Amino acid sequence: MSDSLSTVYEVIVCGAGHAGCEAALAAARTGARTLLLTGNLDTVAQMSCNPAIGGQAKGQIVREIDALGGEMAINTDLTAIQFRLLNESKGPAVQSPRAQCDKKAYQFRMKHTLELQPSLRLFQATVTGLLFESDGAGGRRVVGVRTNLDLDFRARTVVVTTGTFLRGLMHIGQNKNEGGRLGDFSAKTLSASFLEAGIELQRLKTGTPPRLAGRSIDFSRMEPQRGDANPTLFAFHDTRDAGALFHVEHGSPAGEPLREARLGWEPGRDQVPCWMTYTTERTARLVRENLHLSAMYSGEIEGVGPRYCPSIEDKFVRFADKPRHLLFLEPEGRSTNEFYINGLSTSLPFSVQVEMVRSIPGLEKAELLRPAYAVEYDFAPPTQLYPSLESKKVENLFFAGQINGTSGYEEAAGQGLMAGINAARKTRGEAPLILGRHEAYIGVLIDDLVTKGTREPYRMFTSRAEHRLLFNHGSAELRLRGHAREGCLVSASRLARIEAKADRIEHWTSQLERLRPAAGETGVGEGTWADLLRRRASKGEAQGSGATEIGPHGFLELPEVDRAEVRYRIVYAGYLAREQRQVAKLLEVERVNIPLDFDFAAVRGLRAESRTKLMETRPVSVGQAGRISGVSPADLSVLLVALEARRRGRIEDQTDR
Amino acid sequence: MSPALPFSSPDSEARVTLRASAGDTIAALATPVGRSALAVLRISGPDSRRLAAEVFRRPADQIPERRPVYAAYHDLAGNSLDQLVWTYLPGPGSATGEDTLELSCHGNPLIAQLILADLFSRGCRPAEPGEFTRRAFLAGRLDLTQAEAVMDLIHARSERALAVAQRQLRGGLGQRVENLVARLLLALARIEVYVDFPEEDLPPEDRDLVRAALQEVLRGTNRLRATERSGGFLRDGVKTVLLGSPNAGKSSLLNALVGRSRALVGPEPGTTRDYLEELVRIGPHLVRLFDTAGVNPAPGEVERLGMAKTLECLTEADLVLWVVDASRPSLELDPVYADQLRPGKVLVVFNKGDLAAGFIAPPDLPHPTLVVSALTGLGLGELGERMEQAIERLAPTEEGDEEMAVNARQADALRRAGACLGLVLDGLAAMPPAPIELVSSDLRGAVDALGEITGRVDQERMLDALFANFCIGK
Ligand SMILES: Nc1nc2c(ncn2[C@@H]2O[C@H](COP(=O)(O)OP(=O)(O)OP(=O)(O)O)[C@@H](O)[C@H]2O)c(=O)[nH]1
Ligand SMILES: [Mg+2]
Repeated sequence: MSDSLSTVYEVIVCGAGHAGCEAALAAARTGARTLLLTGNLDTVAQMSCNPAIGGQAKGQIVREIDALGGEMAINTDLTAIQFRLLNESKGPAVQSPRAQCDKKAYQFRMKHTLELQPSLRLFQATVTGLLFESDGAGGRRVVGVRTNLDLDFRARTVVVTTGTFLRGLMHIGQNKNEGGRLGDFSAKTLSASFLEAGIELQRLKTGTPPRLAGRSIDFSRMEPQRGDANPTLFAFHDTRDAGALFHVEHGSPAGEPLREARLGWEPGRDQVPCWMTYTTERTARLVRENLHLSAMYSGEIEGVGPRYCPSIEDKFVRFADKPRHLLFLEPEGRSTNEFYINGLSTSLPFSVQVEMVRSIPGLEKAELLRPAYAVEYDFAPPTQLYPSLESKKVENLFFAGQINGTSGYEEAAGQGLMAGINAARKTRGEAPLILGRHEAYIGVLIDDLVTKGTREPYRMFTSRAEHRLLFNHGSAELRLRGHAREGCLVSASRLARIEAKADRIEHWTSQLERLRPAAGETGVGEGTWADLLRRRASKGEAQGSGATEIGPHGFLELPEVDRAEVRYRIVYAGYLAREQRQVAKLLEVERVNIPLDFDFAAVRGLRAESRTKLMETRPVSVGQAGRISGVSPADLSVLLVALEARRRGRIEDQTDR
Repeated sequence: MSPALPFSSPDSEARVTLRASAGDTIAALATPVGRSALAVLRISGPDSRRLAAEVFRRPADQIPERRPVYAAYHDLAGNSLDQLVWTYLPGPGSATGEDTLELSCHGNPLIAQLILADLFSRGCRPAEPGEFTRRAFLAGRLDLTQAEAVMDLIHARSERALAVAQRQLRGGLGQRVENLVARLLLALARIEVYVDFPEEDLPPEDRDLVRAALQEVLRGTNRLRATERSGGFLRDGVKTVLLGSPNAGKSSLLNALVGRSRALVGPEPGTTRDYLEELVRIGPHLVRLFDTAGVNPAPGEVERLGMAKTLECLTEADLVLWVVDASRPSLELDPVYADQLRPGKVLVVFNKGDLAAGFIAPPDLPHPTLVVSALTGLGLGELGERMEQAIERLAPTEEGDEEMAVNARQADALRRAGACLGLVLDGLAAMPPAPIELVSSDLRGAVDALGEITGRVDQERMLDALFANFCIGK
């Protein structure tokens, strides 16, 4: 790649957080000439809040990222220090993998991956503004970025993933610091660039708890929480190319000796526990007595914070009758003594924080390494985006991550991946890749954002997905393989293995529905193997691996992940079939696209309220239109007729000519 | 159906999320609601042929095409609802381009509604305003210049439907459904919190609490559904029992009201040994008439059995026609029966008026009275009117205003919500308990169904309930 500043990149990604890393890798992996700009190369892929990846719904997102060729899953697997499968006692659809990560190892490995990625250039500079040009039709398009080094970079598309850095303002009691994260800078001029282009901005707030020195903690007073002996991983190792895990997968031509070994260890090795403790009455009293000093409660903060991640002030005020609150101490890595205290996010002054921490069993003598703080930042309400994550206001400009009002590394990474894929596709003149609400949590996430927007930092919950029964984490690769194939998002060899796996699973699902155990083979009941499996499930008998597994010979030979998927499809067959029918019905309108230049104002028969909403949101499909609040089924009928009229009008025009 | 498939859910109760798709079969009244001579019902979609086969009891491959047929319509319970004319038109040669079925039934709105409700139970869904026309246009049956007219039509219809719905929702109905939705969302939140926040320090899961709450909601749903035009009367008819001494002329009266010789009539007392029932239309109402064995103060063995059944019928009666022989008027009745005769639900019918010229009913009875003759038809017209009035007074019992009565579409939504809730309650009661995500899936089906009445219920509202009731966030 030429180092000349006159290079016109296909994709420039601004920001190297979880969204930016995925965006840059995704674009470069489909061959787009990509530049990743970050204000600080030493904070690439930093976990600004707790050192953990996954959990409910988020764990499924990470697996989807892996299915679409992203990096977060494998990066987590190889740098995690503890794995746990959540909801193990519940059904597969709501089980989620979660991992504690070695924060620094995670960053190093991600940075190394970026460095070695062909067609990707990494550069340290802070983006201070966007370069626009007129699109000749009254709008504008982005053509590059300006940086703090007075260097301009030009590109056909730009992906903005600036997280909480836009006019970031941190609060610790009455103390205020500018920055998107403690120790980091605040991007102030970029906001002006957005406003100039007519992109609206609003404020959100989030917070993070103090970090403690491990040597000052008395762990004997706490309960350990250990990882699973048999870890559930995020990446699909069963279809991944062999030997690609511990070495440099990209960038070393075959046959050349490896000069560098990427950081990482065998997943699940030497797991490290977390620790549980509780707040006390003294903690509660301290919070109540000092409430007036809290930045949040004294009116210093205007941004809206998330309800699912309340500060300790909120917890004691809103749930005053709850005597104590659970806290987790999470290790930040193998090679550090720093601990994150999950559950104690606050914007109280530092002196109160110290007292508060020391009111907790095991933390009587704790030393704080970093204070807790709240941060306010600008976000760009995501209803200003198309489902491709491209701006409706500025062509070729894409947004992903916290700037869209989300929270969480996984949500950010999922959007980054899609923005990167779609920016690259745009430069090739290809239609964007849009995941349906019925296909993936990432599809639900983006559809919610662009259709409904958000008032608080948006976090994914499994309950947000209408069809979550179809979203069991193990099926991500199977569900999304059509997109992976069509977009060339995974290697041909991996794709072939995914297809083979899908075939095996389909084959054995129908076989078990057909085959009957020989008399005496199982001793119980009648019917097919599938009937037998369902009977066992309804009695609550253990399913799965080892001695409890039943089935015909060939089935028992399958890898456990395949068998688990077959079992799921059989035991939940009735409900899964119902979901599929609903999806099929939905798709009929979901597939009716609305052209970008469609004039809602000219459609006769729409109610005034719906017309306004449709013009604001500018849905790209009749399905999306139907999810806008206030748009009625009758409006959809009118829309369908108008679209059909337009289509026929076009055909008549053509035949006239 | 194999018995032990706990996680297989019934097909017919699928959640309908968006109602613009063409894959399903729709039904609606094509003529304005009212007491015109004929009501036309239109059905369009792939299930038309199957429906014709089911309700007219013909093999599916022997459905005459494009030609009117006269036949009895049978509902799911096997009752003949009406004799009507129907025409089957296969697609694409029909108005909508799909298979269609057109029914011309008697103009009585009750009959039309009964048939619609039955079609919904068989898997049809209510058509959206203008949906037939839209389908016709999308199928290429209307040309481009008609498109704007189509849109105007949909607009006008939906405005009208909206106005009607809003008037209704402003009344008690909107609040009642809203209240049910709120309680459902709270129950859902109590389930979802354990799914989405397994790491939180939550109080132990209390399925009994959820179950109790949902049973309440189910009762509320059923009560509302029962307000559909004279409530359960619509589906089952007003249960009307003919009671009286042997030989009073009960069976004769039934035959007279039905208009044909349905029950055995005999000069000897004790002709009717077992009760029998027959559906008749009385004005706009559907009435299920029960002819019973006569009440004899000194019964024989067989009569005693018949009378036990008479009592059973009586206890469930909505309306009682106490038949007394006017030529030998005796108002004595065993207290076991007399106790069931609460004022408001009884008409004393003095029969054989032809044999008792100048007969005047005793004025001190706690029930309204009239004189008729099953033989000559004397007073039968008045009997019909008096029954109609009595039924209308009976009809909506609870906070009984017209505003509350749900229409067929709303009743269909309530029916689906109720069916989903039934599955949820079964799942919660099962041993071992059904997987929680399946219970939740059915519960959401109920929320979505109710949302069709008040407007789509955003999932965000469940999260509001969740965060308001549980302290989440480590
Ligand atoms: N004249 C006259 N005879 C009637 C009238 N109604 C019924 N009868 C006669 O009365 C006799 C008894 O009639 P049913 O209808 O069998 O009486 P029932 O009350 O059903 O009697 P059980 O079934 O025995 O209880 C028959 O011979 C009828 O023809 C009437 O209005 N006028
Ligand atoms: Mg009789």
